[in-house]
Amino acid sequence: MKRSLFGRLWPNATAVVLFIGFVFPVYWMFSTAFKPAGDIITEDPVWFPTDFTFDHFKTATEADHFWSFVTNSLTVTVLAVVFSLIIALAGSFALARMRFKGRRGFVIGFMLAQMAPWEVMIIAMYMIVRDASMLNSLVPLTLFYMMMILPFTILTLRGFVAAVPKELEESAMVDGCTRSQAFRRVILPLLAPGLMSTSLFGFITAWNEFALVLVLNKDAEAQTLPVWLTSFQTVFGDDWGATMAASSLFAVPILILFVYLQRKAVSGLTAGAVKG
Amino acid sequence: MKRKLIAAIGIAGMMVSVAACGGDSGDDGKKAGADGYAGETLTVWVMDGSSPDDWQADLAKEFEAKTKAKVKFEIQTWNGIQQKLTTALSEENPPDVFEVGNTQTPAYAKTGGLADLTDLKAEIGKDWTESINESSVFEGKQYAAPWFVVNRVVVYNKKVWADAGITETPKTRDEFYDALKTIGEKTDAEPIYLPGQNWYHFVGLAIGEGAELVKKDGDKYVSNLDDPKIAAATETYKKFQSLSKAPQDKDEATPQQGEVFAKGNVGSFIGMGWEAATAIKANPKIEKDIGYFTIPGETAAKPEGVFLGGSNLAVAAGSKKQELAKEFLKIALSDKFEGQLAKANGVTPNKESLIGNLEGNPAAEAGSPAVASGGTTPLIPEWAAVENAPNPIKTYLTAVLKGKSPAEAAKQVEEEFNKRLSQQQ
Amino acid sequence: MTVQTERPPSGPANVRKADDEGSGGPKQRAASRVGALAPYLLLLPACAATVLLLGWPLLKDLLLSFQNLNMTQLIQHVTEWNGVDNYKETLTSEHFWRVTLRSILFAAVNVALIMILGTLVGLLLARLGKRMRFTLLLGLVLAWAMPIVAATTVYKWLFAQRFGVVNWVLDKLGWHSMADYSWTSSQMSTFFVVTLLIVWGSIPFVAINLYAATTTIPKELYEAASLDGAGTWRSFTAVTMPFLRPFLYATTFLEIIWVFKAFVQVYTFNQGGPDRLTEILPVYAYVEGVGNQHYGMGAAIAVLTILIMLGLTAYYLRIVLKQGEDEL
Repeated sequence: MKRSLFGRLWPNATAVVLFIGFVFPVYWMFSTAFKPAGDIITEDPVWFPTDFTFDHFKTATEADHFWSFVTNSLTVTVLAVVFSLIIALAGSFALARMRFKGRRGFVIGFMLAQMAPWEVMIIAMYMIVRDASMLNSLVPLTLFYMMMILPFTILTLRGFVAAVPKELEESAMVDGCTRSQAFRRVILPLLAPGLMSTSLFGFITAWNEFALVLVLNKDAEAQTLPVWLTSFQTVFGDDWGATMAASSLFAVPILILFVYLQRKAVSGLTAGAVKG
Repeated sequence: MKRKLIAAIGIAGMMVSVAACGGDSGDDGKKAGADGYAGETLTVWVMDGSSPDDWQADLAKEFEAKTKAKVKFEIQTWNGIQQKLTTALSEENPPDVFEVGNTQTPAYAKTGGLADLTDLKAEIGKDWTESINESSVFEGKQYAAPWFVVNRVVVYNKKVWADAGITETPKTRDEFYDALKTIGEKTDAEPIYLPGQNWYHFVGLAIGEGAELVKKDGDKYVSNLDDPKIAAATETYKKFQSLSKAPQDKDEATPQQGEVFAKGNVGSFIGMGWEAATAIKANPKIEKDIGYFTIPGETAAKPEGVFLGGSNLAVAAGSKKQELAKEFLKIALSDKFEGQLAKANGVTPNKESLIGNLEGNPAAEAGSPAVASGGTTPLIPEWAAVENAPNPIKTYLTAVLKGKSPAEAAKQVEEEFNKRLSQQQ
Repeated sequence: MTVQTERPPSGPANVRKADDEGSGGPKQRAASRVGALAPYLLLLPACAATVLLLGWPLLKDLLLSFQNLNMTQLIQHVTEWNGVDNYKETLTSEHFWRVTLRSILFAAVNVALIMILGTLVGLLLARLGKRMRFTLLLGLVLAWAMPIVAATTVYKWLFAQRFGVVNWVLDKLGWHSMADYSWTSSQMSTFFVVTLLIVWGSIPFVAINLYAATTTIPKELYEAASLDGAGTWRSFTAVTMPFLRPFLYATTFLEIIWVFKAFVQVYTFNQGGPDRLTEILPVYAYVEGVGNQHYGMGAAIAVLTILIMLGLTAYYLRIVLKQGEDEL
């Protein structure tokens, strides 16, 4: 098939425009964070900063308790994701590989669970945690975050488990493996990309959550980064340099994780599909 | 309910142990502290900016010397404070002592979340200024201790005003407006930073017009924003706001107007003495340029009406350290610390006898002529709900600034305003 | 990350597997009783977590919705039942219905934009050369990975009234009245920015997954189609679309849920303002319940919100329900 010059050109031209559109907010965040104040508050925007400063990052990280926010956020997010992956792996294996009564009921149940509008149930959750004397603790947060991402994780992993050829598992069992050995040695390695890409959703959800922390943990020592970022904004309302520095610091871990995991995950997904 | 009972028993026990140690003044007090409070920590919530760091540090030192207990100050922001305070008061470990705005005190008194301080008033509050104490009294009982009141003044940048060739501070509203206009024409500074939702200033203007925000309809309170006097106040607000580039849909705390002023190219703003301190903290170089004057009224004889904002200190009913909390209040509200606070922040203290501390504080000197013509929002429990975001009065202001007539805007927010005033408690 | 579909994304590969299952099934069924319990045991932790961490708050919320719960009751820990008063008041308030209609429209517009643009971008990805595709994928992943709180903050800065870069560009393009425009000042402009923010952040998910799904379409199908004389459009409708349909259904379902629950974007951008005109249901529930400290009322609105969401996704859930056990 021959394509005209226009036919070859427009997809690339559109892609460039789209690329700029998608990247610009991210670029603007970082560039504002590094620009000296004089280059931020100007009549004409400075598109490509030539002077760099770390002042804004200093302002942002000098906030009280900054490092305990970082530790808390990391702890809660990582634990929530790991727990949900473990629980979901077991569940999704059953849903994808086994036939049993009520299987459809479980799938629909998890689909419904995925719809839970957590923000509107905050007071109910608050009262439960309060009456259990668990306020200002990371435990309820971790548990609730795990639950927020669990349904999605189960349903998604189910697809990945199903995509692993059953023959592999069976031949392993013929070779003398037990079912759980077959699972560990054959299926789990093949599932790695799936686990990684599923965990991305968990990371971003748990990393972002702030409405619940705000109500459950009044003690600054038990709060997380999103609280810092949102309160920072009200205090430093128009100090955009510092606000963008704070946003950058908040976004960087997830950006790195995504860029790293997404490449593996997409290639893993396609590779898996080709093999299937 | 069980929890309350346990707390009550705990308090009773504590009172016995304190009583056993004898009086709590002088040397005896130290002894009582050594026995009763060592190792304890009192949590105190104060609002951002309302008490200087030095004051907190000195107070903590004295408190520790007297009681052997520590005090932990936790700084809160006004934004969302009611939501935070309400839930906190329901918890097992509420803040023991907390600052609560005078307009919000009646509502909290009604909830039963505040400890009864009637005996404390008898002990240390005989000479509290009656008008300042008013917001702390609910159904004849004392539910908080008056801390301070403060009214807004004009904070201005002397350099900007001098650049515009203005040498004298204005005495009337028209002179004020003309001066700001001159600044706008002759300099590239913003004459005044007045965001559209500085509703405290608006309430002041309404008080100046002799208007009420709510009226009684049977046994219910309803909106009175359609009063022509309110409309007059709104027009004044609009006139001055038109000289500002500040956003019409933001209040004075987002961003902190002191921070904006600190950048040096704002001629003035309407705020409190400590907001100037915020500016100085952000940009120490600006200190020498800051001046204050009373918000000019319609005539030179009477300054503009002002909102007498203020704060009270309350003890949580659920606190397990009732006696220690009262000890704290006794020290914090003592002449020494009350005076120190008045001096540092330029706020009106809770006793007439301490007014002398304001001498030499330029912000306070600019504020005091207006106190006589000041007022507050209605001191009714129903009021606190009005201040929850989105505050209908702020919505009203923004609507007018965006071009609606005051009558139309009043109609627009009436439903929401009335709903909040009649909200079940 | 990928989307769960009624069929796993690998598509036809799985149809073959279903057959395998048919032949492998009986052998398994002959296994011991313990084996029959295995799936339930494997699902036990997930179900326990769901009941405890989701079921319990839901039940609590339901109970609260029948209570008069305000500052006083919360602080003093008293329970005051008031029957269906909260529901009566909510359902008879015009405001609630306005918010409901607004939420549905808001979700419809956003989901339509996300799905159409996301599909187009996904198909574009499939057409691009290797290097260009990688570039665009990188851009998409960066946008996708921006945590919502950070993204909302950045959009506030982009659309800031003073020194915001968007206003500057519009001014330079000759739209001078926009030079000092406040985007938070009106309902439509607020919704415009929030929609842009949500669509910008959601397209990557749809596009990347759709692209991944297209790569699994067997080439032979296209060859067969072109042998039958099908043009580009025909082979798109006859091969690509049927292949992607389950994926599109599933993604639409997810996007409806996510957009409907877009609390963070709407609330952090403008708190549902100006004048409560951009409140969508979750924001409304939050403002009425937590904001106005009318907790029982908030709980009732939450219950109604859940019911409305169920209604909106009923179509998809029905498709899932109708499917046979094997296809599920």
